[in-house]
Amino acid sequence: MRVALISDIHSNIQALEQVLARLDRAGVDLILNLGDLVGYNANPNECLELLQTRPVLSLAGNHDLALLDVELAQHFNIIAYQAIVWAQSEVRPEYREFLKNLPLTREGQGYVACHGTPTSADSYINYHFQGKKVLKTLDKGLKLRVCFFGHTHRRALWYKDIRGKVATLPLKPGKIILEPTWHYLINPGSVGQPRDGNPDAAYAIFDDEDFSIQYLSVPYDVAAAQISILEAGLPKFLAERLAQGV
Amino acid sequence: MRLYQKEGILKDGSRVILRPMVKEDRDGLLDFFRRVDDHDLMFLRDDVRDPAHIDEWIEHLDYRTVYPLIAEVDGRIVGNATLHMRRVGWKRHLGNVRLVVAKEHQGKGLGTLMVNEIIGLAAEFGLEKLVAEIHLLAHTALATFKKAGFSAKAVFEDLVEDPSGKKGDLVVMVCNVLARER
Repeated sequence: MRVALISDIHSNIQALEQVLARLDRAGVDLILNLGDLVGYNANPNECLELLQTRPVLSLAGNHDLALLDVELAQHFNIIAYQAIVWAQSEVRPEYREFLKNLPLTREGQGYVACHGTPTSADSYINYHFQGKKVLKTLDKGLKLRVCFFGHTHRRALWYKDIRGKVATLPLKPGKIILEPTWHYLINPGSVGQPRDGNPDAAYAIFDDEDFSIQYLSVPYDVAAAQISILEAGLPKFLAERLAQGV
Repeated sequence: MRLYQKEGILKDGSRVILRPMVKEDRDGLLDFFRRVDDHDLMFLRDDVRDPAHIDEWIEHLDYRTVYPLIAEVDGRIVGNATLHMRRVGWKRHLGNVRLVVAKEHQGKGLGTLMVNEIIGLAAEFGLEKLVAEIHLLAHTALATFKKAGFSAKAVFEDLVEDPSGKKGDLVVMVCNVLARER
């Protein structure tokens, strides 16, 4: 089964359209959306509507949860907060209902999918101690090989080998064949607000038959997304960052 | 609620508005710095009671290099925190934090609230570490930054000097933005 991994769409319809067009051509069996459909950018309803047209399994991210509960948004910094307050007034009732019903995790053949970590949509996997903690849960607690996660907006591939060593692997172009006996944490990057220096919309394709991962990205109309942000009255920084991929 | 601001609650139950500084804050800022304790001003880098300095600051607001955060209670500025960033060079992943809280609002959690907000903004801006330089005798500031996740990395003896020429020790505190767990 070929599973497309998309995450952190953040209401960026221009980026989502391009990623879905690529996935249509790639012929994947399933699309896993790792959360944060809303927040930051200016087209939440359009993104939610477009996702309904594809075989997408979504889960809730911290911004999705904050849209439903303003108390959670209090922990956001002032820029993210402003964007979620704006989205709260914009998202249509039927889509609020959709967000309300999203699970925090999803499990499949040998994998678990989550937004931040399997135990929290709001925790990060950025550093060694964070990756190690989640890999331990994956191995000992969940008895699974792979965890798909998002939240950081940066592509990453963590592994734990059979000796227990935890580290990251360089993200090479093309398919990366994974070791069947190792455990992995896989972050496809962000569709709608990449932060690893490449402004293109990021996604990945996982293949459980040859046990591989391929990191991909596609350019999109950044200028149009920026105009939408500015027209919505959202902070200017949110528009500027899209061009830089930060 | 006005766009681009956030509300917080202090220990005494009073409500505070956090928002970025704008040009219209000129008079409010001057009023604020006049109310700041003389002792606290000793630790600042600039003559913030000089209207010309405030004018210069206000006229050159650029959130990409300095993000100035204002705290307001009942329409009056009671705190100011700034995040200083460089976009290029070997310190491009670092930010510097400066904080001033009005005397009457110290001890109410406002400093911690503002430093936490600055840490959140630093993560948003893609910074990895924050640096705060604090006088060794600024005990309240040291405690505030420690509570927010900063730790002291170095002390430079007799490095700074107050207006009377008295030397003082400078503490450099650092916060690892991405490693901080909520």
